Amino acid sequence: MEKYEKLEKVGEGTYGKVYKAKDKVTGQIVALKKTRLEMDEEGVPPTALREVSLLQMLSQSLYVVRLLSVEHVDANSTNSNLDDSNPSKRNHNNNNNKSNLYLVFEYLDTDLKKFIDSHRKGANPRPLSPSLIQSFLFQLCKGVAHCHSHGVLHRDLKPQNLLLDQEKGILKIADLGLGRAFTVPLKSYTHEIVTLWYRAPEVLLGSTHYSTGVDMWSVGCIFAEMSRRQALFPGDSEFQQLLHIFRLLGTPTEEQWPGVTALRDWHVYPKWEPQNLARVVPSLDPQGVDLLSKMLKYDPAERISAKAAMDHPYFDSLDKSQF
Amino acid sequence: MDFNLENPLTNSHELHFDTTPSLFHIESDHMPSKNYLKTLKEIDFDVSFRREAISSVLRVSCNFDPSLSYLAVNYLDRFLSSQGIPQPKPWVFKLLAVACVSLAAKMKEAEFYITDIQGDGGFVFDSQTIQKMEVLLLGALNWRMRSITPFSFISFFISLFKPKDPPLRQALKARACEIIFKAQNDINLLEFRPSLTAASALLYACHELFPMQFLCFRKAISICSYVNKENLLECYNAMQETAIDGYKSQFDMVSSSDTPVNVLDRHFSSSESENTNGTVVMISSNGSNKTWPEKDIKRRKISALCNNQTVQLSAFSDATTMLM
Repeated sequence: MEKYEKLEKVGEGTYGKVYKAKDKVTGQIVALKKTRLEMDEEGVPPTALREVSLLQMLSQSLYVVRLLSVEHVDANSTNSNLDDSNPSKRNHNNNNNKSNLYLVFEYLDTDLKKFIDSHRKGANPRPLSPSLIQSFLFQLCKGVAHCHSHGVLHRDLKPQNLLLDQEKGILKIADLGLGRAFTVPLKSYTHEIVTLWYRAPEVLLGSTHYSTGVDMWSVGCIFAEMSRRQALFPGDSEFQQLLHIFRLLGTPTEEQWPGVTALRDWHVYPKWEPQNLARVVPSLDPQGVDLLSKMLKYDPAERISAKAAMDHPYFDSLDKSQF
Repeated sequence: MDFNLENPLTNSHELHFDTTPSLFHIESDHMPSKNYLKTLKEIDFDVSFRREAISSVLRVSCNFDPSLSYLAVNYLDRFLSSQGIPQPKPWVFKLLAVACVSLAAKMKEAEFYITDIQGDGGFVFDSQTIQKMEVLLLGALNWRMRSITPFSFISFFISLFKPKDPPLRQALKARACEIIFKAQNDINLLEFRPSLTAASALLYACHELFPMQFLCFRKAISICSYVNKENLLECYNAMQETAIDGYKSQFDMVSSSDTPVNVLDRHFSSSESENTNGTVVMISSNGSNKTWPEKDIKRRKISALCNNQTVQLSAFSDATTMLM
């Protein structure tokens, strides 16, 4: 880790601290994500091994934040040389040593949350331009399609996890894939409650067999938020979150979503009728509203896939060759 | 979500051909450097270190699926390529072998305990030492543990093969896989990209099994935009020497249901057979509490019909441990 000079703490991600740092040799600015790695008798935990190597592969896409390297820091000894590991010289204590894994990512200076915020408040509040929304959404779908084609769900897509290269107009997915290796805490590192706003109804209702649809639901919420400049479903508890969704889209029925009433956390809810979706995204064109409605289908099996979304007429006016 | 050599990117079990271009794009990140190959060819010591380390990997992983051993040897080569050949202490390559197999087993979600893969040549390492070696390996490989190997390209290239009958394709694949396992041992083939090794192995197998299809298949592969024609030819030629002596076992391959096990054992026997100076010493099998699977007995019968390379192999089956 001596390779990097920590510049500042830029965030407290769900899994630990994030630092902005500089590569001392190349001068490259990077983001360091620190994660605890619990070693036991069997050495490096298999889940961490599989997750990080998967991340390493996924970050080949332009629309996924690039993982530049992975640095392991042993909390007991900072020096790991093959010469040190002569078995005759080692003591046998400390089998459960704690160590840290630093994931070194490319650094991007802003994210979609900050970007939307800067358009809502501040000196010059203004809507995001329709062509920018279109471009960001396309890149998001492309990144999500990339992950899904590799069998990986993100599970926590939200504007904070979408980093932007403002100069080039590029959007990249961050905070990927750590879901299984590092158990998802209910509260984040800073005890800030993990946001529910982008969570799919099947997850909120306790379904255990969820799939790629959970990410597409989040994409839909993010799409609407870019257009509205405020969250579509800002719930502050799982129950409230469901009510927000039901009030706009109507309380789901067995007909609409077979099996919904059998889900673990299903209760009897007030019966709301679906509202007109276009009303909550007034600046979105009809094609955009159509795509949004397909992303927010209740039945996960009916929800549009990322790949199909990229072919939706909403993107017809976009020059796709640039991506 | 265990790691499958034939499908390195995906967790799900369907094949996604739309990810194949990205495999071609990044495969060179998963192979040893040119420089490594050069030193292996020039320095006898390095070659023998590699050979001994591979033998050690194969011994400690002999109870697993052969693709696990293949993956472990891939880690080994990439490690040696980035770190250089370490000091010539006997425990170094044993430790390296144990760490490679341990990481490969974790990637493949094989059930094992670290104690299962210990004891090669009388060396037992404590868990901290192994852990440290694992970390060192991960660092050298930059945690790219989902290796892209020739197996990753097999399905893609087979899709270019005209006959669609599953038995024909299976036979072609089985033979090509056998060649790929053997090719890992041959330092002359290490320099070729995994995709070229896969394409050459399939072409070679096609030439043996379905000579009438050969020209058509070769054409289909060479016009594929990811394949460099000259390099393919070079790889194919280099493979002639490796693959040719495997032809006899081809008959067993197609008729046998437990193909991979045979493949590994051939792979193993050919690595051992390079030790012609008699340094292979077996220690007795008494006190063994391992029971060898039935297929070993079956294979021993087959081996009586084969060349003496296989006889050596059957001798191994009787021994619990080998000393170098």
